Amino acid sequence: MKLGDGIFAREVVPWLAVVFWIAVVLFVLVELVSSDFGAAVQGFMQGAFGGRRFAYLMTTLSRAALITGMALSVMLSFRAGLFNIGGEGQLVAGGLVAALVAVLVPGPPLLILALSILAAMAAGAAWALLAGALQLYVGVPLLVGSLLLNYPIRYIASYLVAHPYRDVASGMVQSHLVPQATWLPYFPGTRLDIGILFIVVAAIFAVAYSHTTVHGYQSRMNGLSPDFARTVGLPVNRLALQTLAMSGAIAGLVGAIAVFGIHHRYIDGMLVQPLYAWTGIIAVLLVGMIPWLVPLSGLFFAAIQTGAAGMERTAGVPKEIALVVQAVIILLVASRVSGALLSSSDRKAGGSGDA
Amino acid sequence: MHAALHDIRVTFGSLTAVDGVSIDIEAGGIHAIVGENGAGKSTLMNVLFGLVKPDAGRIEIDGEPRGWASPQEAIASGLGMVHQHFMLQDEMTVLENIVLCAEPISRFGFVDFSGARRKLAQGFSEHGIAIDLDAVVGQLAVGQRQVVEILKMLYRDARLLILDEPTAVLTPQEKDRLFAILRSFAAAGKSVVIITHKLDEVMEIADHVSVMRGGRLISSGLLGETSKERIAREIIGGDLPPPLKPQPREPGAVVLSVANLTVASRAGHVGPLSFEVRAGEIVGIAGVSGNGQAELVQALTGLRKPAGGTILLAGRDVAALDVAGRRHAGMSYIPEDRQRMGLALGATVAENANAGREDRAGFAAGPFLRRRAMADFARDLIRRYNIRVGGPAARASTMSGGNKQKLVVGRELTRATPLIVAENPTWGVDIGAIDFIHGELMRMRDAGHAVLLVSTELDEVMALSDRILVMFEGTIAGEVSGGEATRERLGSLMTSRTGARAA
Amino acid sequence: MLDLLFDPSFFASVPRFVTPILLAALGGALCERAGVFNIALEGFLLAGAFAAVLGSWFAGSAYAGALAAMIGGVLMGLVFAEFNLRRGGDAIVVSIAINLLAAGLTTYLLRAIFNVTGAFNDAGIVGFKAIHLPGIAAIPFLGPLLSGQTILFYVALAMVPLLHMFFARHRLGLRMRAAGENPAALQAGGVSPRRVQLWALVGCGALCGLGGAQLSIANVNLFVENMSAGRGWIAVVAVLLTRGRPWPLFAIAVIFGVVDSLSFRVQGLGMPQQFTDMMPYLATLIVLTALSWWRRRSAQ
Repeated sequence: MKLGDGIFAREVVPWLAVVFWIAVVLFVLVELVSSDFGAAVQGFMQGAFGGRRFAYLMTTLSRAALITGMALSVMLSFRAGLFNIGGEGQLVAGGLVAALVAVLVPGPPLLILALSILAAMAAGAAWALLAGALQLYVGVPLLVGSLLLNYPIRYIASYLVAHPYRDVASGMVQSHLVPQATWLPYFPGTRLDIGILFIVVAAIFAVAYSHTTVHGYQSRMNGLSPDFARTVGLPVNRLALQTLAMSGAIAGLVGAIAVFGIHHRYIDGMLVQPLYAWTGIIAVLLVGMIPWLVPLSGLFFAAIQTGAAGMERTAGVPKEIALVVQAVIILLVASRVSGALLSSSDRKAGGSGDA
Repeated sequence: MHAALHDIRVTFGSLTAVDGVSIDIEAGGIHAIVGENGAGKSTLMNVLFGLVKPDAGRIEIDGEPRGWASPQEAIASGLGMVHQHFMLQDEMTVLENIVLCAEPISRFGFVDFSGARRKLAQGFSEHGIAIDLDAVVGQLAVGQRQVVEILKMLYRDARLLILDEPTAVLTPQEKDRLFAILRSFAAAGKSVVIITHKLDEVMEIADHVSVMRGGRLISSGLLGETSKERIAREIIGGDLPPPLKPQPREPGAVVLSVANLTVASRAGHVGPLSFEVRAGEIVGIAGVSGNGQAELVQALTGLRKPAGGTILLAGRDVAALDVAGRRHAGMSYIPEDRQRMGLALGATVAENANAGREDRAGFAAGPFLRRRAMADFARDLIRRYNIRVGGPAARASTMSGGNKQKLVVGRELTRATPLIVAENPTWGVDIGAIDFIHGELMRMRDAGHAVLLVSTELDEVMALSDRILVMFEGTIAGEVSGGEATRERLGSLMTSRTGARAA
Repeated sequence: MLDLLFDPSFFASVPRFVTPILLAALGGALCERAGVFNIALEGFLLAGAFAAVLGSWFAGSAYAGALAAMIGGVLMGLVFAEFNLRRGGDAIVVSIAINLLAAGLTTYLLRAIFNVTGAFNDAGIVGFKAIHLPGIAAIPFLGPLLSGQTILFYVALAMVPLLHMFFARHRLGLRMRAAGENPAALQAGGVSPRRVQLWALVGCGALCGLGGAQLSIANVNLFVENMSAGRGWIAVVAVLLTRGRPWPLFAIAVIFGVVDSLSFRVQGLGMPQQFTDMMPYLATLIVLTALSWWRRRSAQ
């Protein structure tokens, strides 16, 4: 079959190749656990989209919301040329603060909810700004600084809910429940909390920001060419810090949603184990940062993860297969997203900040 | 080595770079190939060297028809080429650079450096070359770096050496040293080809001259059988256009005043520099690249903090201001590096055109962009500066070098600020765009703006400037008024620290 | 308390923590000098640790484990090469993917092959024995440090001057430096930078694999999920700080190894586990901050 040079060969065939290789990898891995491939597939579909009264679909959507939120956070940074991979830390900071504020501060529930969410966004922003300050004022590359900062906050949160703020009676490593009146309600007739609406708002904000505001435009120019931005007088340092703050705030918001919508408390590891932040990063990489595709990408990866859990339940296939599949997908599309993402050549040195 | 090219034809898409050129390169002589930028000289030699495959034509070496699949084959057959941009590893030593990719090996793949040293020592004494083999290339002067490139060829026993614009970055002294080495090569029987657009040097060094224009060979023969005027006419294809004569003007008030400016640099420091630029004049800063001009420009524009001194723009001290502050105070800057600093290649023309605009109301309403206004502004620039591009929504990367430069120039000049700093504004740009940009700079001057032109192209500085300052080793070696500037006078200032002010 | 921390067995334990970081960092140095921005050292280490257990358990020998570890690392390196060098994917993206791949694959195979979750602790895993050098063991302070370690430690030590010589005097080393600094010039000279970078990745994989082997069949004899526990990231930081120069790398790896070892000891003294878990990262951050600050000050 001669494919030639046309649209089919250039656009469709590479994606078909991706699908093909994913299928191969899946097949090999499932066979390794000598499982029934058909049953595995069925378990996957059920786990992602099915369940009694679509319970699993709700889980997928709920997870998709969190992943998409993290993806939006990362997208803002990446488009501005900032290698902020500290989303996990910002997420944890937000979730922790949200839970603690709600548990410790008395007051009318709606006010507490609003306060907690704002505090969570502030915490996420602060953690991101810390990494930014380290780059700007000390010279620690953002890539490394933001990554390293993921760990201290994770362990601090773990400590806080393991000792001082632990809900001892529950027997688990977690905080007390936040007041019931602050729990986000479900959509009528479902078990999906309305947190997804917050993400929708955040998505609209992110898109509008990127394309219609002066700040977004200047950030984008800086992302495309930091040398150009500096030469033409754009306030690169201010832009960087403000963008990081926005990224961190969105991550913090996601943490708050996880607390008030899903778990209703801060449980040790609840934000780190499911790899929300890393999935958010690869979700953004998959679609080359085209904003309107990001929610779809988030849904896609959420389905992979919940589907894999389903596969484990019904066919005994370890759910880590999801990680492998996601990694393979990113490897296969890596070459296609390179141009869009990474024009900055001084990302290694962590350039901006020298007069 | 005798090389002959027959009926070479090279096309890049719809552009015919070399059109049926046949040329003979004799052994043991220096052959100059001259022509303007874009005449096809480099492309022709790239064919000989195996970098470019011709669409038609054949190559003969010593009577045998040859073809190369890659430059490596050409090198193995005895050809060598020194490109305009040196291919050197700055953090490695001279010796490491020379043997790289042709390393002599002893056991287990370790490099036999002493063997290489011995071989090179021979070449040194034969051709009068002196260089420290253990010096780190990044710390060498440009002239020395070129010697390293030449040594690379020597080490590989090249018999035909091609040098592409070798004197573009050399001081007059370095040029003399180079020419002495080349003559020694020719005397030893090697063939030397120089690609250049500098007529004076051709007259000085060449035995044979070939003139190319628009991809065609216009003439080829012994230097003794032609004349400088004839070559010049062949290069241009007619008579020289009348040179741009700046209308004599009384310069106005002082716009830029620099006093005792010092800037830290890799080699120590640049300065102290003191000079003024007035409204309605073009002050040119001449000098070979690397004598502090880059640091000066960076300190003026705000890209680098000065170590000391004052910078007054329209009477206001701007040394403490950042780039945005200085632009706001009345400065525009046309950077030398249009790809990385002048434009964001991944963005559209409209986005590039509106970046760094002073009047926010012209492209924004509150925090929001006014996209239509931005596109209109870009369209206006495209029209006024004759920029050939698809439209405001086209990506900047799609433009040719000359058009990219026109966009940068247009964006900066439209701001109509009192001071304009132009750094090598026509580097690597085609003739049409060069003339256009020069015209625009003159227009700004006539309209009363102050222009600081920093350029390594002596012709450009001489043609445009009312006053010329020459920089050498970080200080101002001397000042010459435009009307009295000659290449000799400027050349001597460019190599000496103590030049007296001309009358 | 201080003497509790610094008794001779502390010195004996330091090499166990230095070795994996040093080996991974040396591997990273190959990539760094060759111009490959490989931050997947964590994944390489993890793959090596798991492969070591595989090899050791199936073949019943620690050396088989070490060999398997190197193969596992090299395989990761080849994956990196395929998607970064050959297909042009950005190195950071490929690195993130490989880290996830290693984490997922090792955990998956742990269950698929050995049918356990969390950790695989089996008598069938053969580890490296300690090597006693009687003459050296007698030296005060340095004695317990240099004697009684596994062979991987001595290999790691030897690799430092070896790598230094490699970069300075070996043809491939020279070409790697060229590929990292000015690949266009190397290409013009007729050598493909990509081919050279491929070798760098292979070498990196092999060294990181050995580092992983130290984790799973030398320090202990078991495999735990996500066993590399951030050491790969510490190695990345070490490489970035020293720009891949072997001797400074050695110094930094020792510092980090000491901190790692310290945090392990401190755990036994009643500090909450979270703080001791945090110490290596915090220390890395502090060292990084201090060095970056100092570098900035001296540049001005």
